[in-house]
This record gives sequence, structure tokens and C-alpha cells, in this order.
Amino acid sequence: MRSYWIRRAIGAAAVLLLVIAANFFLFRIMPGDVVSSIVDPRFSPEAKERMREVFGLDQPLLRQFVIYVRRMLTFDFGISFLSQRPIWDELRSRVPNTIALLGSALLISSALGTWLGVQAARKRGGITEKVVLISGSISFSFPSFFVQLVLLLFLAYTLPVFPLRGSVSIPVPQGAIDRMLDYIWHLLLPAGSLVLLGFGSWAIYVRNLMVKTLGEDFILLARAKGFSESRVLWNHAFRSALPPILTIFLLALPGIVSGAVITETVFSLHGVGKYLLDSIMGHDYPAAGAAFYILGLLTIISNLAADAAYAIADPRIKVGRRAGM
Amino acid sequence: MILKRAVLLFFVLVSILTATASPAFDISAVRGPHIRDLYMVIYRDPDSQIMALQKGELDVLGDITRPSDVERLASNPDISLSISRGFHLFFMGFNLRKAPWNDRILRQAAAMAVPSRQIVRDIFSGYSEPVSTYLPPVSPYHAPDVKTWNHDPEGARELLKDAGWTWSIDGRLVPPGETVPLGSFRLLSPTAQVAPTTAEISERIAAALNGIGVPVTVEPLDFSTMIRRLDMHDFDLFVMAWSLTRDPDSLFAFFHSSMDVTGGYNIQGLHDPDLDRILEELRWAPDHESAKIAAREAQRMLSEISPWIPVYSRYMVAAVRKGWDGVISTERTSSDNMWTLLGMKPSDGRERPVMWCLSEEPRSLNPLGTSSAYDWQVLGLIYDGLIAVDPESLEDIPWLASSWKIETLEEEGVAHTRLTFRLRRDVKWHDGTPFSSRDVRATLEFLRENEIPRYFDNVRDIDSIDTPDDSTVIVTMKNVSFWHFHNIGGSLVLPAHILEGIGNWETWQPAREPHPSVKGLTSLVGTGPFIFKEYRPGEYVHFVRNDGFWLSGGD
Amino acid sequence: MIKIPRWSFITFFLILVIAVFAPMGLSRSPQETVAKPFAPPAWTGGDAPPPFSAVLSPSQGIVVLDWEWEAPENISIKGELVFEGYSVSKLVWTTPDGRTFTLASFQGSGKWPLDLDGRDITFKTALGIPPLANALPLLFPSRGEHRVSIEGDIPSGGSLNLTLPGGKWGLMGTDQRGRDVLALFIMGIRVSLLVGISATLLASFFGLSIGLTSGYLGGVVDSLVMRTVDVLLSIPVLPILMVIVGIWGKGLWQLVIILGLFSWMGTARTVRSLALSLRESCYVENLRSIGASPWYILYRHLLPEAMPVLLATISLGVPGAILAEAGLSFLGLSDPRVISWGRMLHEAHGFGAFTAGAWWLIIPPGIGISIICLVFLDMGRSIEEMADPRLKGSLRQ
Repeated sequence: MRSYWIRRAIGAAAVLLLVIAANFFLFRIMPGDVVSSIVDPRFSPEAKERMREVFGLDQPLLRQFVIYVRRMLTFDFGISFLSQRPIWDELRSRVPNTIALLGSALLISSALGTWLGVQAARKRGGITEKVVLISGSISFSFPSFFVQLVLLLFLAYTLPVFPLRGSVSIPVPQGAIDRMLDYIWHLLLPAGSLVLLGFGSWAIYVRNLMVKTLGEDFILLARAKGFSESRVLWNHAFRSALPPILTIFLLALPGIVSGAVITETVFSLHGVGKYLLDSIMGHDYPAAGAAFYILGLLTIISNLAADAAYAIADPRIKVGRRAGM
Repeated sequence: MILKRAVLLFFVLVSILTATASPAFDISAVRGPHIRDLYMVIYRDPDSQIMALQKGELDVLGDITRPSDVERLASNPDISLSISRGFHLFFMGFNLRKAPWNDRILRQAAAMAVPSRQIVRDIFSGYSEPVSTYLPPVSPYHAPDVKTWNHDPEGARELLKDAGWTWSIDGRLVPPGETVPLGSFRLLSPTAQVAPTTAEISERIAAALNGIGVPVTVEPLDFSTMIRRLDMHDFDLFVMAWSLTRDPDSLFAFFHSSMDVTGGYNIQGLHDPDLDRILEELRWAPDHESAKIAAREAQRMLSEISPWIPVYSRYMVAAVRKGWDGVISTERTSSDNMWTLLGMKPSDGRERPVMWCLSEEPRSLNPLGTSSAYDWQVLGLIYDGLIAVDPESLEDIPWLASSWKIETLEEEGVAHTRLTFRLRRDVKWHDGTPFSSRDVRATLEFLRENEIPRYFDNVRDIDSIDTPDDSTVIVTMKNVSFWHFHNIGGSLVLPAHILEGIGNWETWQPAREPHPSVKGLTSLVGTGPFIFKEYRPGEYVHFVRNDGFWLSGGD
Repeated sequence: MIKIPRWSFITFFLILVIAVFAPMGLSRSPQETVAKPFAPPAWTGGDAPPPFSAVLSPSQGIVVLDWEWEAPENISIKGELVFEGYSVSKLVWTTPDGRTFTLASFQGSGKWPLDLDGRDITFKTALGIPPLANALPLLFPSRGEHRVSIEGDIPSGGSLNLTLPGGKWGLMGTDQRGRDVLALFIMGIRVSLLVGISATLLASFFGLSIGLTSGYLGGVVDSLVMRTVDVLLSIPVLPILMVIVGIWGKGLWQLVIILGLFSWMGTARTVRSLALSLRESCYVENLRSIGASPWYILYRHLLPEAMPVLLATISLGVPGAILAEAGLSFLGLSDPRVISWGRMLHEAHGFGAFTAGAWWLIIPPGIGISIICLVFLDMGRSIEEMADPRLKGSLRQ
């Protein structure tokens, strides 16, 4: 058990390091003088000097990297080219929105997808299975922004059920519960569209796994023993299909993070993904790097959280099995 | 003939824009603000802006640029649109430092090749104004009667032929006395990604120049790269737009030979001693009359020299939902202005907040450091200047200063301007401290001592500032210029007691610092009609009415 | 094995034919303006007028329009009349109800150049309407006979061209610049296919080489490669693509290479497990024992075995690349000069097609992307089934 956690931690650290290294090198493989390529020409010589300092550009490469890693780990991202403000100041207000969007989309689509997948596997050819197959195709083949824009147009404008933008009503409602409900109402369309685009492929995976599992000998044995159908389904088949389902969760994570970037753009949400896009458009490289790092960090943390939840929820399943996946 | 018709069109246009604007009003009769809450709501996506306005989530939306939106909103009965001329000028510049662009005839012919009017039709559906002079038509200093180079490709060819230019077999221009046709030139333009209309216009201009035998291709560049190339004077042709002010001394910055330095505004590299002399007269003009004469002469000479091809000036289109009284728009100011905010009240008398669209996130809300226009939409409601500008005539009107005196004094053989401002006595800062001459002096001194870039040009010529009493400020300048009055009178005024507490003005974040003594306020306190309450990033900026505003007038 | 090909193969073939040959059939560049902006398709209902043009000249001083439609989108009168001696003349518009409007007037001698356009504010002004109003309903108040005539002194030469653009265009209407959406749509197929297929081929090449090597060599190399795959799979790809495109530039080939570099992991995994199982099989053992070099075994035996799987992964990988290109284009991170479906959607969004209800700009590229993706998905699945018929029973109905 301990070795499992050590391995997971090392894995997470490796991903983190890779994200930081990618950030570090991406902005340095540019042709020409490093400073002129990462420093906006509109800035004064002093500003350029300050950037050199922030990046430690006068130091040897390895030393620069060590400085960079330390800065990233302490959330010291430097000053944004565009706003001349500390980048972390700007990102801080955005992180909660992104976490709420990602978290709710991930939890709901995984729960819904799993449940539907199991149901579809139980009743082959039923309505559930059709829903699963169709929504799976949609999420595979329709561009997410297209579906979201259409949803926004119809559900926020033509039929004004949802708000057009943002995460709060104006004026902000009084009272904690009202404020909470208001926030959820604002998040419903963006998160809901992500769920709509995500649960189908999820359900297909689960269904396929379950179909395979239900065909195995130990299920026949369980049935032969006369256990109830739902007990066979959940206690036997589902439980043994859990480890691969967890793998899907981990594999789906980066996709959902990518989806969040587009979702924040379509629904004008004040989030990290939109900040990444704005920074790239404005050639604000330190800010873009920081936003990318935060997105990577969120992925890694969700990854670890999934591992933890899984280990706690079902300690009987040997964690070692995942290594072979 | 062509010229005369252009003049005629101009006058017709002026009269119709005036006729459609709201009836003349007396700005001194405006009292306000009436509304209690004002939200500047951040809608960054143009689609959401339009949908929100139509749904009623927004009350005021300015700067509408897409022609399809203008047409749709114009036909919406719930919305009233206003259109006004802006201090905007879009042009193409030549690099006068090298051949063939140092040839005046070629530049004039090029100007005649560009179909500005058709460009405005096709790109803006007519909702912009084709221009051919060097000041936008809305400027009080615009000289409509100077000779200009209007669209006439045939005339362009004739002009070139008369000057000895010939054409090679493949249609390229050959300079007089030479046999080798012109090589290929590049027109620097922002990418279609950043500025779709600008990129499109660049393509149109290139096509027009190719049409008279000048081989031009568009080189789309990332904006900062483009600026760098222009700063280093590494270009043939470029397109650019400026937002100007009502004072024409911007011409000095754009065309005086002293501004042709690396990174200077005289990007095209114009050196003309005669023009320099006129521009100096303009910059150091002692009074309005001589400024007007110099501005006119400068425009005449510029048209002759043709260092740019002026293309168009944008109309400003703004929308306000019906159901609000007191909305003010004129031919020169669209309805999304401060006067509207002062005058606005609900027609049905039901108190409700005004939702005003802010199309970008404010950046730092630091009045000393920011140059973002979106920051100024917010800060402009908080801070006041000594004088204001009449939205209709664009003349100076009393604001924090109730009256003023402009004198030219002669001391020890050196002439200089002296400005005397009499301040209103009924003005208080948002925190209740009375506004006085000390605040004005402290601000001007702060701006000068810290050499704050945004204001330094305005205050660098100050010789001394005297405050004989609480309501008098005397600013003595080192030299003579009519523009000193606008530069000093239009400068922002910060409270002296807040200025004292600023450590580093570059990183100052008044919106986040609580007020030193008054609870519930931030350090962002001014004398303006609205008090800053809260900035919620990504969502809105909230203001409340300043009940102590000197124009509230017992409302 | 050979039977009637599935729908997806037929559709793919058709798409391929369109992508290769249809652009040759286009009579003009898709960048060219053909009609007014946002013109709906010609087959949609309504009462929009067809395009109309006529010439006014000294001999033909009047044009009569028998108008049976709604007011046109715009009116344009361009040209030049020549007068000998001092003349007074004007251009007059007469509506069916007898109202007259003086569109322009002339006094003097010589050339009278005219360039009138219904969108010009000066034109609206001359008609006495506000600058934000539409001049055309005023000129075309009802159906019936409209006239435009030169009145006063008769010119001695020159002519004027009157043009009324049509309100509709072609099969798919026009975009915000008045370009033919059908032509853009056809050009867009190429880009989607090109990006999708070449990026996936590149990714498969990487995946195949890495997977085969890793699976065949095993040991430290294998576990190292598989850890790298794990790590890469847990990094969100779109943000990486955005950052790289932002730094490296927005060219089409840059995009292909970047997409290829970040999507080889799945293929590598599949190929590696195949190689792993083959390595243990008897005939490879035998080959090894008779002294065949590893490269020979890889090339002659493992590669052909891996081929069907590879084809399937290619086919299944194409939608991912197409959608990634569309997503980046939508975010504005693609080359603006290259017409792709994602770019079309980006421009439609940027220019307000969604709020304007210009569905003909939105539906074709949106549905187009999804159809191409569905085609590749289906092809991939059927290749998978051919390679491994067991899948048919359990995974598909």
C-alpha cells in the first residue's frame, strides 16, 4: 500500500516537472535572442531588465531552470506584460470558477456516464443504450464549441432560461443560500454542456466493459448461485470492472480540462482557460505560462484525488492491478 | 469641380447629423446623477453584448462596430441608436526615407488610386466616413476646403504620365528616366485575427495600388512585431489608426522632423522645413485664432506633401434601451457619455440600476499608471478635471474650476503663459474632505516630480504653481502655448491626502486599498458623480451615486 | 471478407472526390465577393428580388423597373455623363405612387461623374432620412413601376450603370464579406482532410515506431516508454497546442506537426501490447533461433501483423485531429488565410452570424465536421472488426 502511494506521488511529481519543463523550454526554443522574443518590444529597457531578472536569464540554463521551478512552486509568476500586475493576482480570482466548472462537469458526467453505461449493459437494445450510443457519437464527432454556441443561443437568448454570461447575477443576491443558487444557475449551462458532451463516450466505455465482464465465467457462477440480478450487476460485475473505469476517469481528465478552455470562451466565464487564451492572443508569455501551469496543476490534483477516492472507497481491490493497464 | 462637390457633401452631412441628434440642450442645465446604482458589466463577446442589450440585461452599449449589428439594432423598437463622428483616423503611411516613396507625385497618385468611399461601403456598410485630410472632419480645426486627392484611378495615371512615369509591358510603373520597373513592396498590416477589418482594408489598398502599377503585397504581422518594425523604420508602407483629441497639435507629433527618431510618432520620416515652421507655430500658438490659421495651413501643406493616404474616420455608434429619460447625444458625442449618466432617469420613475457595458476587463484601475481605455471608462466617473468639454460644441466649459484666465506675460524678455483657475467652493471628495487648491497643486507636482509618462508632456513646461487661497490656482508656464490651458485644465486631480500615502505609483492599486480613514471606501476617491464600490473581476464594476456631487442640485 | 462496403466507405470516397475535384470546378476564387453580406441561400422561401442591372445613357434617358418583389438590399448608380455647354440636369427616382426623389443634380458644363450607393450616409441625407435608416424601403415602397430618369438638359455623352444586387445567393448563401459559402465549404473539406489525415499519419508513424521498439525490446526501454506515455496522456492537450501555436506561429503545417507530436501515445500503447504478445509467440521464437535479426523480424513479421490495428487507429485518430484543428481555429489560433471549417465557424461567430440568425454560415461547417468525424469513426470500427471479428459481437450491434 505504501509503495503504491509513493509510486503515485512520484508519478504526479513527474507530470508536474514535465509541465514546468515544457513551460520553461517552450519559451526558450524560439529563434533569436531570448529576451527580444519573450519580452514585448513595447516595453522600456528597465522592464526588459526586470524580465531578465524574473526569468534569471543571465544565469546558466540549469540554474535558470532551478530558479524557474522554485518560482512556479511558490506561485511567483512575475508581472503580466499586458496589465503590469502580478500574474497570480489576476489568476487568483479565476481559479475558483475553473475548479467549479471542471469539478462539477467531471463528477456529474462520470456518475451519469457510469450509471447509464451499467444500465445499457444490462438491457441491451433498450432506450438507455440508444441514448448512450447517440450521445456518444455526438461527443465524438461534434465540435464542442458548436454544440455549446447553439445551446447558448437557444437556451439563453431565444428561450431565456439561463444567463448569457458570467457567474453571478447583478446585483448579487443577498443571503448565502441565494448566492449559492445563483452561482449554480450560472454554472448550469456551461457545466451542463460539458456533461452533455462528456457522459456519452464515458457511458460507452463503461457499457463495453460491463458487457465483457457480464460474459465472464464468475458472473455465470454468481447467477447460478441465485444472487439477485442487481446484486450480480453491482456487487460482482461492476466491482470487478471498477479498476478499468478508474483508468477511464484518469484518461478523460485532460479532455475535460481542454473542454473547459473552450467552454470558458463560449460562455464568457472568468476562468483560467480564458486567461490562457487572452494571454496567448496578447503575447503575454509569462501569463500564458502561468495559466498553463495552473491547468496542469489542476489536472494533477484531480488525478491524485481520484486515486485517493478509489483507494478509500474500495480497499479490497488490489491497487497494483492498475499498473498493467 | 470634384473638390467643390466634396465640400458640398460635407456640409450636407454635417447638417443631417446635427438634425438627427437630440435637440440642442443647455449643458449648464444638466443636474445629476439621478440613478442610485450603476453597474459597468463586463461583456467581452460582441454576440453576448448584442443579445444582452436586446434581452434588456444591458441598458447602454457603446462602440458598436459590426454593420450587421447596427442594422439589426436600428430596426429594434426597444432601442434607440445614436451615431456620432469620432476623433478617429485610419490611414496608410509611406516610408518617405527611401525611393520611390520620396517622390511626391507617386504618393499623390497612390492617394488617388485608393477607393476610400467604396471601402467604407463594403466594410462598414456606409457607417464610417471616408476622409481625405489630416484631421478628422469632426475636429473644430478641420479644413474641408484644402485640395485633396480623391479617388480617380484614371487621373492618377495621367498625373504619373505627365511627370514622366512609364509602364513596363507587364504593367509595372517605371520611374522617370529609368528603365527598370518598380520592385515589389510590402504593406505592413495587423493580422486578420487581431483586426479583421483592418486586414481587409489593407488588401483593398494593395489591390488599388497594384491597379496603377505599383506592385504591393500585404504582409500581415503580429501587432507588436509590426510596431517594432515601424519603430526601427524597417518598412515600405503601413496602415495605422489613431484616436486623436480635439486639439490639432497632434499634427506636430506626427509630422514634425524632430519626431523622426527611433520609436517616434513621425513614422513615415517626413522632413520638411516649411511644414516644421508651421507646426511650430501651431504648437506654440498664443491664442485660438493663430492656432486655427496654423492648423489650416498645416493641413493644406500636408495634403500637398501627401505623407499618408487618409482613408476613413469611424462613426461612433451607441445604443441605449428605451425607457430612460435624459439620454444625451450629439453629432460629436455618442450617447454613451458622462452627460447621459448624469441625466439618466427611468421614464416610469421606478428606481433601478443602470447596466452599462464594459467590453474589456479593466486592467489596473490605477489612474497614474494605466493607459487602458477600459480603465478610463471606470476612472472617468470617479475623477474630474478643472474644465470639461461641451458634448455639442466641444468648447471648454467650467467644471471644478468655475472660471479661468489665460494670460501671456512678458518677463525679462521671455514670454510665457499664465493660467489662473478659480475653483468651485462647493466640491467635496467622496470621503467628505473639501476640495481645494492644495489638491490641484499636489497633483500637478506629483505628476511632474514622478515624471509619470501619461501626463508628463502636459506638465513638463510648468514653471511654478501658486495657491494664494483655497480656491485659486495660478500655474505659470515656462513658455507660450494655447494648448497649455487644455493640458493643465484637462489633467486629472487627485486628493492631496491620498497622494501623500502613495508609495510606488507604478504598483499603486487604489481599488484594493481601503480608504485610510473612512470605512467602506477605497483609496479610489475623487470628486466625480459616482463613488466606486466594488470591482469583481470578470463580472462588473459597481458604483453608487455621489450624493455630495456638486451638480446634484437638490435632487 | 469482401462484401458491400459500409456507408462510411462510400461517403468517404464521395468526400474525397469532392475535395479533390470540386475546387477545380469553381469558376472564381472563394475569396471573391459575389453578393451582399449574409445573403441567404437562393432556395429559401421569401420574396427577395433577383439581381438587376440597367444602363442610362443620352439615348436611353429613362429606365423602368417593373418591380414585383420586396425592396432590394442596395442600389448603386455609377458612371459619368458629359454635357456640352452650360446645362442643368438631375437624376430623378419615381415610385409607383408618384413620389419623386432627386438622387443627384448637376449644374455647369463638362463631365458629371456619379457614384451613388444606397449605403452612403450622404445618399440617405439627400433623401432626407436619418443616417441609421435604410434608404431602400423609401425608394421601393410597393410593387409596381419604378422609374429612374435623367431630367433637364440632355447629356451629350457618357452613361450610368444602375445595379440592384440580389438578396440571395447560390446553394448556401454568403458570409459576412459576401463570399460564396458553398465555395468556402468545399475548400474547407480539403483542409479538414489534410490536417486530419496527415497529423494522424504522422502520429501513427511515431506510435508505430515507438510501440514496436518498446514492445519488442522490452525491459528498461519498455517501462521507460510506457511511463512517458502515461505522463503525456495525463496532460491536457489543447492548452499545450494553444501555447505552442501562440509561440510558434499559426501555419497549417506547424499545426499538423504539433498535432502529430501530441497524439501518438494511444497507437504506441496498442502496437506495443501487440508486439509484446507476438514476441512471446512460437514463430517469432523460431525466427529468432534461426538467427533472424531483430529488425528483420520487426519489419517482415510484426509490422504486417500490426497493420490492420494500425489502420483502425489511424481511422479512429482522424476525428481527434480534425476536432483539434476546428477547436484551435475557433479560438482564433489558426492561419487566417487558410479556409477551414473551424475558421468559418470562428468568423461566423466573430461577425455575429449567431445573433443574426445566419444559419447557413453555421450549420454547414458544423455538420460537415461531425459528418467527416462520424465517417472516420465508422470506418475505423469496421476495420477493427475485420481485423478482430470478435469485437463485432461484444462491442457493436
